[in-house]
Amino acid sequence: MTGITVAGVRRTFGDVVAVDSMDLDVPAGRVTALIGPNGSGKTTLLLVLATLLVPDSGTVRVAGYDPVTQPTEVRRRTGWMPDAFGTWDTLTCREVLATVADAYRLPRAASRARIGELLELVHLADLADRPTQVLSRGQKQRLGLARALVHSPEVLLLDEPASGLDPRSRIELRGIVRDLARAGAAVLISSHVLAELDELADRAVIVARGRTVAVQDVAEGEGHEPSARPWRVRALDGARLIAALDTLGRTHADPGPDGVDVDVRSDEDAAELLATLVRDGVPVVSVHPASGVLEHAYLAITEDRR
Amino acid sequence: MTEITQDTPAAATAAPQGRGAGTWRLSRSGVGTVARLELRQRVRSTRWLIVLVVWALVLGALAALIHHALFSDPLNGLSAGDRSRQAGATMFGLVILLVLSLGALIAPALSATSINGDRAAGVLATLQTTLLSPAEIVLGKLLAAWLTALALLAVALPFIGWGFFTGGTPWTRLVVSVVLLAVVLLVLCAIGLGWSAVAARTASSAVLTYLSVAFLGLGLPMLFGLMIPVVSTTEQRPVSYMEEVTPGAVAADGSPVMHCVTRIEPSTVSHTERIWWILAANPFVVIADAAPTPAGERDDLLSLTRDGLRELRLGEDRTSGCQEQNGFDDPARRAARDRLSAVWPYGLTADLAVGVGFTVVAVRRLRAPSRRLPRGVRVA
Repeated sequence: MTGITVAGVRRTFGDVVAVDSMDLDVPAGRVTALIGPNGSGKTTLLLVLATLLVPDSGTVRVAGYDPVTQPTEVRRRTGWMPDAFGTWDTLTCREVLATVADAYRLPRAASRARIGELLELVHLADLADRPTQVLSRGQKQRLGLARALVHSPEVLLLDEPASGLDPRSRIELRGIVRDLARAGAAVLISSHVLAELDELADRAVIVARGRTVAVQDVAEGEGHEPSARPWRVRALDGARLIAALDTLGRTHADPGPDGVDVDVRSDEDAAELLATLVRDGVPVVSVHPASGVLEHAYLAITEDRR
Repeated sequence: MTEITQDTPAAATAAPQGRGAGTWRLSRSGVGTVARLELRQRVRSTRWLIVLVVWALVLGALAALIHHALFSDPLNGLSAGDRSRQAGATMFGLVILLVLSLGALIAPALSATSINGDRAAGVLATLQTTLLSPAEIVLGKLLAAWLTALALLAVALPFIGWGFFTGGTPWTRLVVSVVLLAVVLLVLCAIGLGWSAVAARTASSAVLTYLSVAFLGLGLPMLFGLMIPVVSTTEQRPVSYMEEVTPGAVAADGSPVMHCVTRIEPSTVSHTERIWWILAANPFVVIADAAPTPAGERDDLLSLTRDGLRELRLGEDRTSGCQEQNGFDDPARRAARDRLSAVWPYGLTADLAVGVGFTVVAVRRLRAPSRRLPRGVRVA
């Protein structure tokens, strides 16, 4: 299987356990999110996958190769966008990408065309011949993405790619990543912006304290999903809504300015609730999940770990 | 699937493993990619034109002062031709020493923060995760630093040429001196690069680099001086001096009648023949010893350095007799010195070994994936 397989990986720095025991699969053609609190070992795991760190124990396969014993094969097939990276300040965007293309030993003629494409893709074509030190943080982030894509990798490791991006760039990033996955790439993306991952990721791996604690399938809303999550119901007549909910025996929170959060088990349950409320004559304005799938799962899982 | 097993921690860093397989893979395009990247950044981020102009002005001013000092003296009883020959050869030697000294101040700075600086800027890991091997990254950086140092040497050539054209210097000495200057600059760049891979902070690597260079240039002669008492012994040996034959006796012209007396007496002997090699790796000694001497008199700086070292290598003169001139100018001693094999191959080999050693250290430090991180180093 291509993509990434990680089983029982552990990595310590002295007596600090950065990654305790992580397991995850990143299948080809899917976008997998890696989420977890600060210091939960996400970046360390990505460094292992990017062939920079040797794990203390465990098994890792990236694009079918072992990053420890076959780093060259892994590098040939992997694009890595680190969370904190610099650029060669005095080089232009085009030169940065050309240097990276040379470093991957791409033929010059092919790489020139590829670089033009990538600059268009990340909307830096008009800044192509400006030195990177004039770029804003978000533009540098986009250049970082282009750099990770220079050699058309089949595995993509993105560490906090959306940080510093303006809303439009975030949406475009989402489009780029989805397109890459559709074209068959295995994408592992770590991020804190959970709401955004709902629309971007197919699956999420939740880690805490260096361990994999849950795997959540976003698209189908299945997996290890907790039994109920809150949906926010807003009606013109708040008192009547509360009365109706109490009559139905639904668990709900105290009403806020934006509506009432009601525990809902599934999409079918939500549809049924809405139908009942409307039939009972409650003037419902909107019904929607109070939080994203991932946010809810994440909060539920990490709640007891604070 | 192979299990990654944990070796004993001590052996883990030293023992070659499967992961180190591609460490030394070298290609011209790989080295060229890194060197181009480095040079491009250097040309754009430093005011190199100003640096070169200042370098030329400083060298020019000092060379002019040397020329003035040597040629404004009275003739000291020498013929005009001898005078010009001696002053010319001395000027050449001084300009070489000057270029070497100033070069030793600048060359290490070209590489002393190269690797840890890239680490701090977060651009090293992005190179390490490409298909470039550690050896290509290190040699590319070394090549870029050396080419920059050679640019400084090129600017210095007119002043070296000035020393040459004032006379007294064989052209073979000119060629050998310039070639060895270039080699020494390469070694100095390698030392800086090695430290920049070892030390986590750029300030540390800069200090360590300058200490290393100062050790070669100044430390070795100082160490030699300090070692002399250690190798000095008091020995019973013949000592000769002139003595009156009979106290109070005078010759026909009224001067005392003297004769040569040799006695066995305890005297201090410095066995420099045991420690001369300490000086051999000093870059100026290497150049002075390797540079061919002029055909006639050998009374210029480079020749004196060369003969001085060989004199130390012979050790203290043990023959005795009152007719002897002082040891250095004695024809027998001079012949003995010339019979010695050259010193520079040892010194140059030692210097090259230092350069290669630091380069190897740098390459090993860049191997990825790594098991160990130096304290305070961020991988990315």
